[in-house]
Amino acid sequence: MPPKRIRLDKAIVTESDRLAAELAERYDRAGVLVMNLMSSPGAGKTSLLEATARSLSDRFRMACIDGDLATDRDAQRVRKAGMPCTQINTGGGCHLNGKQVRDALAAHRLQDLDILFIENVGNLVCPAVFDLGEHRRVVVSSTPEGDDKPVKYPVAFRLADAVVLNKMDLVGATDFVVEAFREYMDEIKPGLPVLEVSCKTGDGLAGWFEWVAAARDAVGRKVE
Amino acid sequence: MHEISLAQAVWRQVTAELADRPGYRLRGLDLVVGAMSGVDPESLEFAMGLLVGESDWPDAEVRLRTEPLTLVCNACGREFTTDHFDLTCPACGSRDADPVRGTDLRLESLELETDDAAETHPA
Repeated sequence: MPPKRIRLDKAIVTESDRLAAELAERYDRAGVLVMNLMSSPGAGKTSLLEATARSLSDRFRMACIDGDLATDRDAQRVRKAGMPCTQINTGGGCHLNGKQVRDALAAHRLQDLDILFIENVGNLVCPAVFDLGEHRRVVVSSTPEGDDKPVKYPVAFRLADAVVLNKMDLVGATDFVVEAFREYMDEIKPGLPVLEVSCKTGDGLAGWFEWVAAARDAVGRKVE
Repeated sequence: MHEISLAQAVWRQVTAELADRPGYRLRGLDLVVGAMSGVDPESLEFAMGLLVGESDWPDAEVRLRTEPLTLVCNACGREFTTDHFDLTCPACGSRDADPVRGTDLRLESLELETDDAAETHPA
């Protein structure tokens, strides 16, 4: 018999995609806003979460799941700032997956939370491909990394709901051009909010807090 | 490097399709990797090679092609491709465009063979 060609044209659904749908349902049932934070290592995800814990704890009930290859240093920092935080160690894993998040959720009572942050492993490539069922995806970029980050890692930036541009206090010490960054962002995803902050000095963080609160409102309304 | 888990997902899909078609052997498979899928074609090809080599059909050929990002302009409706993720519509200059192809990984087709003369039309 001659070989037959069967046309399927089916998108590949990974185990992680299936879990993401299950997680999304769980978040919605509990009425919690879930945000997935991603960035390259050292851009300031943990610093942003510390600042958020200090400033928004009296408005929202928040918790965090933190992914790193090793140690619970980040979780310790976030907890110290006042937000319950569970550490996931991925070993060699370059991103968080749905199973790890599902397991970590055992430590949290979702229905008692307004916002759950997921701090992904520092990496702008792989985390972008793995949906964790989140409502909002935030990419943190920082000025020492260079202003052309968006076009070099378009998948992550394209899928973001907001970009936090951290370390604005260092902008004078680097070749970073804010307008160039914004133009590159405009190529990748026009109209995406770019929030300039310095977690060190606190400048601009009010804009981030406002964005978080608005996202919480939007999801809260949808759930009710 | 997440291509191993993606290759496993592809393989699960392939074996499920074959389970639905008793009597057929796998000769080859065609994958389409979108330019904005976040998948590295070379790593995926390598991982697929490992899985196929260990399978019941070690000689099956894995064919992989990449697909450029294709967008449709929301202002004028023009469809266009881009290789550097610039969303600017070549017809009207608008940057309001949405991807229609090139964002996912797809199993496009399977090439199967059988010895059974009666089985001429796989479902």
